[in-house]
Amino acid sequence: MASTITATRSRPDFVHRLLLGVGGIVLGLAILLPIIWMVFTAFKPEADVVQYPPALFPRSLTLQHFADIWDAIPFARLYGNTIVFAGGVTIFSLLFDSMTGYALARLEFRGKNVVFVLIMILLMVPFQVTLIPLYDLLGSIGLAGTLPGMIVPRMTNAFGIFFMRQFYLSLPRDLEEAARVDGASEWRIFSRIITPLARPALLTLGLFHFQYNWNDLLWPLIMSKDIEGATLPAGLSMFVGQHVVEYGLLMAGSVLALMPVVIFFLVIQKSFVAGIATTGMK
Amino acid sequence: MAPSLLIIGVFMVWPLVQSAYLSFTEYNRIQAARWVGVHNYVELVQDEQVWNALGNTAVYAVVVTPITVLLALAFAIFLNRPMVGREFVRTAIFMPFIVSMAIISFAWSFLLDANIGLVTYWLGQVGFVTEQGWLTDPQLAMPAVMLVGVWKSVGFYMVMYLAGLQSIPTELYEAARVDGASAWSRFRHITWPLLANQTMLVSIMAAIATIQVFDQIYVMTRGGPFFSTETLVMLIYRVGFQDLRLGYGSAVSWVLMILVFGLSMLQFGYFRKRAVTY
Amino acid sequence: MRVSRWARIAVVGALALGMSACAGQGAPQQTAASAGGPVTLQFWHGMTGPDGPAVQKVIDEFNKSQSDIVIKPNIMPWDQLYQKLLTSVTSADGPQIIAMDASRVPQYASKGALAPTDDFFAGTTFMDTSVLPAAAVDASKVGGTNYGVPFNLAPMMLYYNKDMFKAAGLDPDKPPTTWDEFTAMAGKLTVDKNGDGKPEQYAIALADHETVPMYQPFLWNNGGGVVSADAKTANLADPASLAALDFWTRQVRDNKVSPIGLAGADADKLFQTRKAAMEIVGPWMTNGFTEAGIDFGLARPFAGPTGQDTLMNVVSLTLNAKITDAQKKAAYTFFSYWNSAESQVIWADGSGFPPTRTDIAADKLKNKFSAEFGNKELLDNSQVYLAGVPNAGTITDDIFYPALQKVLNGKGTVEEVFTKAAKDVQAQIDKG
Repeated sequence: MASTITATRSRPDFVHRLLLGVGGIVLGLAILLPIIWMVFTAFKPEADVVQYPPALFPRSLTLQHFADIWDAIPFARLYGNTIVFAGGVTIFSLLFDSMTGYALARLEFRGKNVVFVLIMILLMVPFQVTLIPLYDLLGSIGLAGTLPGMIVPRMTNAFGIFFMRQFYLSLPRDLEEAARVDGASEWRIFSRIITPLARPALLTLGLFHFQYNWNDLLWPLIMSKDIEGATLPAGLSMFVGQHVVEYGLLMAGSVLALMPVVIFFLVIQKSFVAGIATTGMK
Repeated sequence: MAPSLLIIGVFMVWPLVQSAYLSFTEYNRIQAARWVGVHNYVELVQDEQVWNALGNTAVYAVVVTPITVLLALAFAIFLNRPMVGREFVRTAIFMPFIVSMAIISFAWSFLLDANIGLVTYWLGQVGFVTEQGWLTDPQLAMPAVMLVGVWKSVGFYMVMYLAGLQSIPTELYEAARVDGASAWSRFRHITWPLLANQTMLVSIMAAIATIQVFDQIYVMTRGGPFFSTETLVMLIYRVGFQDLRLGYGSAVSWVLMILVFGLSMLQFGYFRKRAVTY
Repeated sequence: MRVSRWARIAVVGALALGMSACAGQGAPQQTAASAGGPVTLQFWHGMTGPDGPAVQKVIDEFNKSQSDIVIKPNIMPWDQLYQKLLTSVTSADGPQIIAMDASRVPQYASKGALAPTDDFFAGTTFMDTSVLPAAAVDASKVGGTNYGVPFNLAPMMLYYNKDMFKAAGLDPDKPPTTWDEFTAMAGKLTVDKNGDGKPEQYAIALADHETVPMYQPFLWNNGGGVVSADAKTANLADPASLAALDFWTRQVRDNKVSPIGLAGADADKLFQTRKAAMEIVGPWMTNGFTEAGIDFGLARPFAGPTGQDTLMNVVSLTLNAKITDAQKKAAYTFFSYWNSAESQVIWADGSGFPPTRTDIAADKLKNKFSAEFGNKELLDNSQVYLAGVPNAGTITDDIFYPALQKVLNGKGTVEEVFTKAAKDVQAQIDKG
C-alpha cells in the first residue's frame, strides 16, 4: 500500500481513502466470516467446536488435527489424485476449449451455427442429467473407476468454449490478417499469435476449471473404485460420520485442501483481472 | 476443434440423447428401461411438486441474478478506486468462489443455527431475535439460501467487471469531468454503456447458474422446510437419485433445459441489440 | 505425433458409441476369482467418522485369521454410498457386500438388486442365528424373504442432563417415565428468562427432519403408527396417530418444549450446549457428550398411553444379486465372523453400540454405554421403523417430515395435513 501514498496527495484525499479502506476491510472481513470460522475451527479441540455461547476464536489452540489427518485418511495420496485430476482436466480443457472457441469465433466452416447452438444447449444441461448415461458409457469402454475415465469426459466443456469464443470475438482482426497475408498457416496463427494474446483469458478460465474440479465431489466419487483412487472432497467426507461429524479433522483437512487454489489465485491475480478485460461480446 | 467436437459428441451429446430416450421410459437403474411414451410428461404437468419447484427456481433466479450482477458491478466500481487495503478486499470478496460449498456449508450452518449460531447470537445481542433461525423458518429459508448464493458467486462476476472497468480509457472520464458531468451521469453515459458487453456475459452466466442452483440447497436445506427451497435441479436429484425414478427425472430435466435455453436466447437477443463496440 | 493421439481417441470414441448402444442394461458380470486364490469381496459400508475404526479392526482381524477370503472395505458416508451404489450396482465393478440401513433394503430388493439371505438363517452351517435379536433380523425382510444379516443395531434412549434437572428443582435420578410426567417436568425445564417468546433453554430437542425418527415412536406408544404392522396400510390418519401428533405438535408449538426445524445434528448440538435438557437418540452420542463434560443419565424413553416402545435403528449386510455361489459362501463366513462374540465385543467396546448378540453378558463389555444400550428390556421393546416398506425414504423424507413441519409452522391442522399425508403414504405403499 505504501507505494500508492505519494507526497503529492492532499490530506483530505488520504483520509477519504483511509475511511474507504476501513469500510472495505470491514466488508471483506464480513464476507470472509465463514472462512475465518473454518480456519479457527481447525485449531480448536473437538469438544470446543460445539459450544454456547458460540465463539469465533478458539479458547485453546491445538495442532492435533493437522497431525492426525495424515493417519486418518490417505491424505497425501488423495492430494496427488486431486492434483492429477483437477490439473489434467484444466490443461486439456484449456487446449480444447480455446481451439474450439477460436474456430467458432474466426473460422468459416459448414455447420458452424449448428455447433454454436449445440454448445449453447449443452451449457444448459445440469450435470445430474447425463451422469448415469455417461457412467455407463465409460464402463462399456473400460474406463469406469479409473483416473483417465474421470478426466476424459471433462477435457472440454461448453462453458469454456463459450467463454473463449467471446474472448476471441473481441480481439482485433488486424494481427491475424497481417499474418495471413504473410502466408502463415491457421495453426501457426493460432499457436503463435492468438494464444499469447489469450494468456490472461486462459488463466481466468484455468482458475475456473481448476477450482471447480478441485472441489467437485459427485463425479470423482462415482468414478473412483476406492479411497486410494478418490479425490480430496471424497476423502474429507470420511469425517462426516453417520451421526457424528469430526469437525476439527474436517476443517483442518479443508484448510490444507484449500491452499493450492488460494495460491493459484494469488499468483495469477494480476493477469486474472486483466484476463477478462477484453472478453466482451460483439 | 475436431477432438473437441469428438469429446463433446461422445461424452456430452450422446449421454444427453440417452437421457432424452430415458425421459420416455420408466427406469430405475436396476431393471431395464420400460417405454411409457409421453406418460412422464403428462404426469409432470399435473405434479404440484414440479410446479412448486418451478416457482421456487423462478423466484430464486429472478431475485438472485440481478442482485448478484448489480452487486458485482457496485463492488467493482468501489474497488476500482485507490484505497487502503484494496487488494485484501478484492481477495476477500473473491474467496467464497474458490471454497468448496460442501465444506463451507458446515460453517454457514454453525453461523446461522437458530439456537447456538454465532451470527444469530450476535444479532440477538443487538436485539434482533429470529425465533426459528434462518434455514429452518419457511419464510426465511429461501432468503438465506439466496444470501449464500450471492455470497458464493459475486466475487467472480466482480472480477469480470473489474477487468471491463480497466479497459475504459480514463480520458473519457476526465473529459466528462471538464464538462461538469455528475458522478451519476458519468456512470450513466460512460461506465454503463461501455460495460454492456461485460453485463451481457455476466448476466447470461448468472442466469444459467441461478436456474441450475443446487449445491447450497442440497447441503443446507435439502429443499426444506416442506419443499419451500426445493428448486428444479434439487427435484431432479431427489426423484432420480433418492426415489430411483430416473425416467421421470430425465423428463423434468428436459423441461428445465428447454426453459433455460429459451430464456438465455431471449437474453442473448436483447443484449446483442444493445451491445456497444468500442 | 499429435495426429496419432487424435486417431487413438477417435477410435476409442467410435468404439464407445458402438458399445453404448446397449448402455442401461449393465456390463457383463465380473469373473469370479480363479480357483486356488483367495476370494476377494468388495464391501461397501458407511461407518465413517468415529465408528469407523472399530469396524476396520474386525475386518483386519478377519483377513488375518484365514487365507481363503479377503474383505476389501470401501467406506463413504451413507448418502454418498447410495449415490454410488445407484450407478454401479448393475455394473462389473460393483460391490459384493453392501451395508445399508434396513429401511433401504426393500427399495433395492423389490427391484431384484439384492440376493436373498434366507439360507444364512436356515441352519447352523454358518452360525446359530437365534442369538441375533429377532427385530434386527426381521428388519431386512421384504414380503417374507430376508435380504440381509444384521450389521449393527442401535436402540434409542432418553439422554437427560442431570445438572439441568437439579437446577430446575427436579430429582436428577428420576427422568420422566410417561407423557404426563414429561409435560409436568417440561414446564420447569423450558426457560424463557427475558420473555421474548424464544426460550433460552428447552426441555427436549426433537428433530423434525434429516434425523433418526424421533416423533414416530410417539405414534406407536399411542397405538398408532405411520404404517400398519403388516406394512400394507397407511395408519397416519388413524385417530390414535392423529391424537399423538396433536399432543406433541401442541407441546412444541404452544408450550415450546423443543425448537421447531431441528435436524438430527442440530438436536445433538442443542443437548451438547446445554440448551436442551433431554434428547432421545442412539448410542453414538455418548462419546461426544462425555467429552463436552455433560453429566447425563440414560433411561428408557418415557411411555405413551398404550406402550413404551423405542425405535431401533438397524443396519443390514446385504448381497449384490450378481454374487456367485462361492462368493456368497465367503460372504456368509464373514457375516458369521462379524456376528461372533469376540468381534461383537470389539465392535461394542469401540463404538458404544450394543452387540448384535443377546448372549453377551454386560460384564464382558468394557464400554459401559454398550451395556446400557444392550439392556434386554429395552431391546425387547424396540421396533424398527418402516421395516419391509418399499419407498420408505420417500414416505419419511417427502411425506411425513414435510407434513410434520407444516403443522409445526402453523400451516394447517394436524387432521387436514395428516389425512392428506396418509393418502400419499398409501399411494407409495401401493406403488411397491
